[in-house]
Amino acid sequence: MTPVDAGGPALREFVENLKAVPRRLKETAFRTGPPVTDRTRSTFVFGNVFLHLHSVRTHRWSLRWTTTMGLGIMTFAAFLIALVTGVMLMFYYKPFPDVAYQSMKDIHFVVPTGRLIRNIHRWSANVMVIGVILHMARAFYTAAYRRPREYNWLIGIGLLVTTLGLSFTGYLLPWDQLAYWAITIGANIAQSPREVTDALNITDYFDPGGFQKLLLLGSDQVGAEALIRFYMLHVMILPLVLAALMAVHFWRIRKDGGLVRPPDADERLTKKRAEETYPVFTEAPAKTYHLAAIVRGRTPNVGRGPENTVPSMPHLFYAELGVLMFTLLICVALSLVSDAPLKELANPNVPENPAKAPWYFLGLQEMVSFSAFMGGIAIPAIVLLGLALIPYLDRETKGTGEWFGGPGGWPLVRLSLLFGLAVPVLLEAFAIRFGWLREWFPDIPQLIVTFINPATVLTAIYALYSIWCIRRYESARAGALGLFTCFLCGFLVLTIIGTYFRGPNWEFFWSPADWPQH
Amino acid sequence: MKKNKYLLLLSSAGTLLLLGAAAVDENFLKEWRRIQSQGQSDEGAIPVQLRQVVNEGLGVSDRCVSCHVAMGPGEQSVRGGEVLAPHKPVVHDPAEYGCTVCHGGQGLATEKDDAHGRVHFWPEPMLQESFSYAGCGTCHIALGVPEKTQLQRATLAFERLDCLACHRVDGRGGTVRPDGGGMEGPDLSGASLSGYDRDWYAKHLIKSRTEPAGPWTKTFQPVSEPDLKLLGAYLETRVAAPDLVQAKSVFLSTGCLGCHQVSGVGGDDGPDLSIAGFKDPGQVSFEHVPGSRVMENWLAEHFRAPASVVIGSQMPPAPLAEREIRQLTLFTQSLRRKELRDAFVPRDRVKATKFGEREFASDGATVYGAFCAGCHGMDGLGRRAPGLAAFPSVANPDFLALVSDAFLTESVTRGRPGRRMPGWLREGGLTKDEIDAVVSHLRTIGGTRQEPDPRPARWVTASPDAGERIFESVCSGCHGGQGQGAEGPSLANPVLLETATDTYLTETIGRGRRGTAMPGFHSPSPVYPALTQDDIASVVAHLRSLGGKK
Repeated sequence: MTPVDAGGPALREFVENLKAVPRRLKETAFRTGPPVTDRTRSTFVFGNVFLHLHSVRTHRWSLRWTTTMGLGIMTFAAFLIALVTGVMLMFYYKPFPDVAYQSMKDIHFVVPTGRLIRNIHRWSANVMVIGVILHMARAFYTAAYRRPREYNWLIGIGLLVTTLGLSFTGYLLPWDQLAYWAITIGANIAQSPREVTDALNITDYFDPGGFQKLLLLGSDQVGAEALIRFYMLHVMILPLVLAALMAVHFWRIRKDGGLVRPPDADERLTKKRAEETYPVFTEAPAKTYHLAAIVRGRTPNVGRGPENTVPSMPHLFYAELGVLMFTLLICVALSLVSDAPLKELANPNVPENPAKAPWYFLGLQEMVSFSAFMGGIAIPAIVLLGLALIPYLDRETKGTGEWFGGPGGWPLVRLSLLFGLAVPVLLEAFAIRFGWLREWFPDIPQLIVTFINPATVLTAIYALYSIWCIRRYESARAGALGLFTCFLCGFLVLTIIGTYFRGPNWEFFWSPADWPQH
Repeated sequence: MKKNKYLLLLSSAGTLLLLGAAAVDENFLKEWRRIQSQGQSDEGAIPVQLRQVVNEGLGVSDRCVSCHVAMGPGEQSVRGGEVLAPHKPVVHDPAEYGCTVCHGGQGLATEKDDAHGRVHFWPEPMLQESFSYAGCGTCHIALGVPEKTQLQRATLAFERLDCLACHRVDGRGGTVRPDGGGMEGPDLSGASLSGYDRDWYAKHLIKSRTEPAGPWTKTFQPVSEPDLKLLGAYLETRVAAPDLVQAKSVFLSTGCLGCHQVSGVGGDDGPDLSIAGFKDPGQVSFEHVPGSRVMENWLAEHFRAPASVVIGSQMPPAPLAEREIRQLTLFTQSLRRKELRDAFVPRDRVKATKFGEREFASDGATVYGAFCAGCHGMDGLGRRAPGLAAFPSVANPDFLALVSDAFLTESVTRGRPGRRMPGWLREGGLTKDEIDAVVSHLRTIGGTRQEPDPRPARWVTASPDAGERIFESVCSGCHGGQGQGAEGPSLANPVLLETATDTYLTETIGRGRRGTAMPGFHSPSPVYPALTQDDIASVVAHLRSLGGKK
């Protein structure tokens, strides 16, 4: 009979170790201790796989609300929310025609909190689309795309396209009438190069439109193959692409010297709030900037003092978490007030009239109603190409980091807003009131309508306006300001017309109440 | 920094608040909680919890009993209001069979609108209360149902012979008398289901002689042979679902099966109706249907005016009273047979699916009503519907006087290839006996026997050339240039030409058919000249050559 306390030293050590487990667990998980000094705050950031995409210190300019309005983080937050709720939905969703609809009915009407989760998923997706557009506008108007951030602007365009793709592929999954016909419209837009190949009589030999549609649907109409394709794209391929692009996007922010700020940001901050300058480096640096020295280009802390920066932990993280929670708040609040739609089971024999694409494509659909090829393929391609070229055509430096910075400035943007809104409204009004070439000359070749229609005329007017801006202000930035503002306005006007003023057979109606009853 | 902290704090608090509110709503503010909190059992208040009936064999998990508590297992004693009340007495205890098996709807849902399917675009809403008997069709098949006149006669016989004095059927009869007597006989509502003593009449007779007093001596009277038959037919249809049986008898006298199949029997000109009761209201057009978007409305309007509800429908509108339209709707809704595990397949369904027992009675009137009346009319006089070719009058006395039973049998058996009349033996799924019954029923409603015909089947020897000219000028207007049929029937039909005798053809041309568009050519009409016997013979010869040209 040996009492416990009579155990040997090994047993005593074992008991000691057992007692120390919680403390050691904490130490080993957070190796650098609590983030209370600047040094431990730094190590907290770069010692963490998720946080180390951030730089350890953040410029105070970046933390001003007016700098970014948190739009990028809001988009990212919406993605995270959609990711979590999406995974939850996957537990119940079954990607096969008809069965898919049944499972959506179950999620909506039976699964506890299923309806709320689905609503949050849908709203976060919409917030993400809106967020990515607004974020792009912010980056554009503060000239954040300029050297050295050109490439990150391109990544951003990739993110825009991927986000729209994610939202679009998710649209089919409920397999109701709304989804079915929206995707049918989308697939027909993909097929629209046929408009040109048909007009040239070469569709039999060269049919990129048909190929695109086949690639998208795996069949000549929306069916089981299309559903599984969209499902795979939605839950697997596009999220992975998006995650990869986001990683690059965030990484490049750090590598390109943090968020954009005007060259005189330090003076402006200090002038305003000298007394608030945060104490810098409360202890001597333990590391030298060896690594920083081999990094090329103007990284923030090479050759300059770190004044006006604050530790990212906690200053930046409060801001980011704040935006994350704010986004969540918006999504949850919207989800409690407004249910995601679920119409009757998809029926290939009963077309919806009007069949409308998701709202962010209704501007496209409006242009498609004039010419499928120009509206669905050519103009979007021109727009994307134009967006991608902006940083390479605007090599100026004046106004970087300022809202509406550069030659022209806010007055030019204001003028462009007026111009950009007025032109599509007038053009649409004209086309709705008086018709277009096809109504005047019924026998006109399709190619002429393809190349001369309200959508192409609008694009041409915008382009001419942009050239006028360049000449008027002797600046490529001014042209970009004019064109981008016009693009946003055109997107807005066409989307609103497509959403609210188009009824059966895509005819104009002042309100859905005027639609012919049937 | 401070602003960001406040943003984080307020957003988090707001989100938490909203999620908390959603959680409270999801967990505590549900209607079924409020309903259950009013429930009282013998031991006091009942525990408030989610309740359900699970029957794996039927694939049922119904949470309906979360509100309708007293219908749940072991909860019969629960009181507390209309919603909680127990089910009215039925053969199938909902506590065991669940609710959705009979009533439809969404068993897993826990909110009223969701569960009853009264939400937009619900594919399988609950059956409306007045159509509840349609739910029986999920498992059961009422067998041997006669058409409506037969059923009515049988029902009247039961009432006329005062069986209701002692027996209770579907909640009627078997009154309790003040002297303490009454309800002497058993309830016969489900006589056919539970089975009944086939020797009941003999036993009744004996009892009426031996019993000293009471209703046996006063009420019971010997029954005549035809009445006994009617009573038997009546008892056969007692399956505890009177509305459904009556609805089915209307269905069987409207001739729907002439074009529609139900479980493999019927024509194939229209859609198969075997599971028509599961039709998704989201998959049909309500454009021309007044009232709410429920299948009951759609079906009723569709029976009233088929072609205006389903564009391009070839279905002739049936001459139906509103009550019968309601009954047809009920029956169509009852066509909702589900796959069942063997243990749950009821006897009637085994009889129908495994032993080939018929859903309809085998008498000629019923078979005719079920398969022929849709086109030829219940009276056999043919029908006309706008936009459709006229349906021939098959009970026409001029027709029946000239054709043999063999001709009729052959016509029904093989149909008219290329026309809407299918061959009923192979395609339609009727038996030889049933076809014979139809033929004798035709003789009954037509009231005409075949005139004796001493001539052989083929005796015309005239040349077809003269006939062709006459045919073109006189006959082709109605029968088509090649005899392919237009407003009038097709004459180049192989089955017709094979089975029709020369006497039949010459006499039909000569006498015409009274009551139809076919004039007799023995005498001139305002439109056509009279034809001589030779002319007619040459026309027949031409007809014979049409068959060879096909």
